[in-house]
Amino acid sequence: MSRQGPDGPQDLAREFRRWLGERHARSPERAPRFETVSGIPLPPLAVPADGSARDYLRDLGFPGAPPYTRGAHPAMYRSRLWTIRPLAGFGTPEDTNARFRFLLAQGATGLSLTFDYPTLRGYDSDDPEARAEAGRGGVAVDCLEDVDVLFAGIPVDTLSVSLVTCNPGMAIILLAMYASMARRRNIPAERLAGTSQNDFLMETAVTTAPRALPPAGAFRLECDAIEHAIEHLPRWNPISFVGYNLREAGATAVEELALCLAHALAVLRELRRRGLAPDRVAARLSFFFSAHRTFFEEIAKCRAARRLWHRLLGEEFGELPARARALRFHVQTSGVTLTAQQPLGNVVRGAYQALAAVLGGAQSLHVSAHDEAYCLPSESSARLALRIQQIIQHESGVTETVDPLGGSYLVERLTDELEERARALGAEIDARGGIVRVTETGWLHARLTASAEAYRAGVKAGRLPLVGVNRFSEGDPAPPEVFAEPSAVARQAVRLRRVRAARETQAVARALDALAQALRSDRNTFDAITAAVEAGATLREVHERFRVHYGPWTLPLV
Amino acid sequence: MKALVAILGLDSHWRGAVAVVRTLRELGAEVLYLGNQFPEEIAESALQEAADLICLSTLSGGHRDLLPEVFQALGARGVRVPVLVGGTIPPQEVPALRALGVADVFGPGRPLDELALWVGRDGGGRDRTLRSEP
Repeated sequence: MSRQGPDGPQDLAREFRRWLGERHARSPERAPRFETVSGIPLPPLAVPADGSARDYLRDLGFPGAPPYTRGAHPAMYRSRLWTIRPLAGFGTPEDTNARFRFLLAQGATGLSLTFDYPTLRGYDSDDPEARAEAGRGGVAVDCLEDVDVLFAGIPVDTLSVSLVTCNPGMAIILLAMYASMARRRNIPAERLAGTSQNDFLMETAVTTAPRALPPAGAFRLECDAIEHAIEHLPRWNPISFVGYNLREAGATAVEELALCLAHALAVLRELRRRGLAPDRVAARLSFFFSAHRTFFEEIAKCRAARRLWHRLLGEEFGELPARARALRFHVQTSGVTLTAQQPLGNVVRGAYQALAAVLGGAQSLHVSAHDEAYCLPSESSARLALRIQQIIQHESGVTETVDPLGGSYLVERLTDELEERARALGAEIDARGGIVRVTETGWLHARLTASAEAYRAGVKAGRLPLVGVNRFSEGDPAPPEVFAEPSAVARQAVRLRRVRAARETQAVARALDALAQALRSDRNTFDAITAAVEAGATLREVHERFRVHYGPWTLPLV
Repeated sequence: MKALVAILGLDSHWRGAVAVVRTLRELGAEVLYLGNQFPEEIAESALQEAADLICLSTLSGGHRDLLPEVFQALGARGVRVPVLVGGTIPPQEVPALRALGVADVFGPGRPLDELALWVGRDGGGRDRTLRSEP
């Protein structure tokens, strides 16, 4: 059908030329030409040939232009490949520093740092409660000196670093330590690039652990860190809304989208209340999505996320500058889809899930290693996971045209469907009092549990095929070699003793009291936290002030 | 039949533990979910509640140090009930855990259906005492 009028062929052709000239031309491409292995040239973007696609300009548009369905940036991977950002963290800061150097030598282009439970829960490594877990499942960090050691020799002025500081009570302390570490190295705050996870849902819905802060308290500390970073750390993404972890806890793709976007809107509202303009805030928000098992749903989810976010922002905050409305995100391939049985099959799962993330337009990516049902990745499984990304980047050719699946009948339909369902769920969350409220009441936990149970029941009944589990389950008795992370207790205790002996006790006490006062006053706590860690306060000592101020919270789980 | 379900130490993954709680309840057991607990608390809860079964969840690796402490604390109180452990436990570790006294290990990939054995619902639902090893 050839149609004239607002979406007709002439409009589309004209808009396409305009996009090429005004937006795409401003993004230098990586190579002079892109073509298939047989020599067929690949255009930067494919659009409907006859321009008859209904509502193309309204619903798809062009990459790097509203409504961002086809990508956050005009030339996407033709201009800049996504950041290969593998996760690492175990043992002491020295151990993890060595793994960082290994990963960078293997071609990682960013870093992502995980912490052990004592650190995430606000304990020091020499606390009795930390005895079994210091350095396991993540790196042990107790004080500013640990952060110095972690990043020794790592070019943090040019390399972006994601601090997987899940809960805000921890994220704000670690960000303060990171900024202090840079200052000691004479690196200006303006140069620090990276991301803090800093999501109160990690504290209150995704994980459960001792000394969890209540939702409202965690949300306040989250916003304190965001507010500070907007004013002082221009290249830092002070929050990454953790769709991934919600998904691991059971959420569906629709729930992942709706919860993340509802949370992001809550942050914008709170910071507007504090006097920050929504465009300044929106430009600094980042998202973290899962690439789960259904290939096309995951691609559509990424595209729907960008479009829905753009639209929701417009509806609530009016016209904002383009950059503020383009949703950017990191992806991790789904850990919960990995099987303990026949673990080498997980290499294939990681590869096709990574491909989905790329076809969805991710800005950075981590592929989960195949042995993660058993342990942290070994050096060799971590390297293989890196190679998956490199093979997609350099051999598959999927990076050479933007949004290659745009216009696919199936992908567009799924994109519409995900947007519509996520919008409806978002409206329900709003009607129930917003994201903080549905967490306080346990509505969110019940929903996650129901979804997780539905998935488990599907696998159990065989409705959801799982190779190696309920299909083709013969054989492969040998489990992978297991990486045993070293304990950090003894080695961290030595450093802690030295740090405590060297610091001035009175100064630490004064700084911590000032923090308690900031908490009571509702002033932003970031500067008080920085003063405390620079005086030599440990992570536990700082966290203790949060805990005392907010009191305990029990998750409404079962 | 009363079961205690707890997450060991500071580990903060709840999905597995909650799945165990639901499975046990579906099987007709009375279940107390205790959240995170350390060895002394686990043993004390088992004693106070006169539990018939203890289920411990761990994904952080902390079980290597904490499980021996659990058995020590249970022994000190004279509590002798089966202890099941679930989570990220490599098969290589299972023999040592068995030797320590762990009654069964629900490591990666082990179906939760097999919990039925532990609440006496295996086969035709015959009742078994859980005070001794199967």
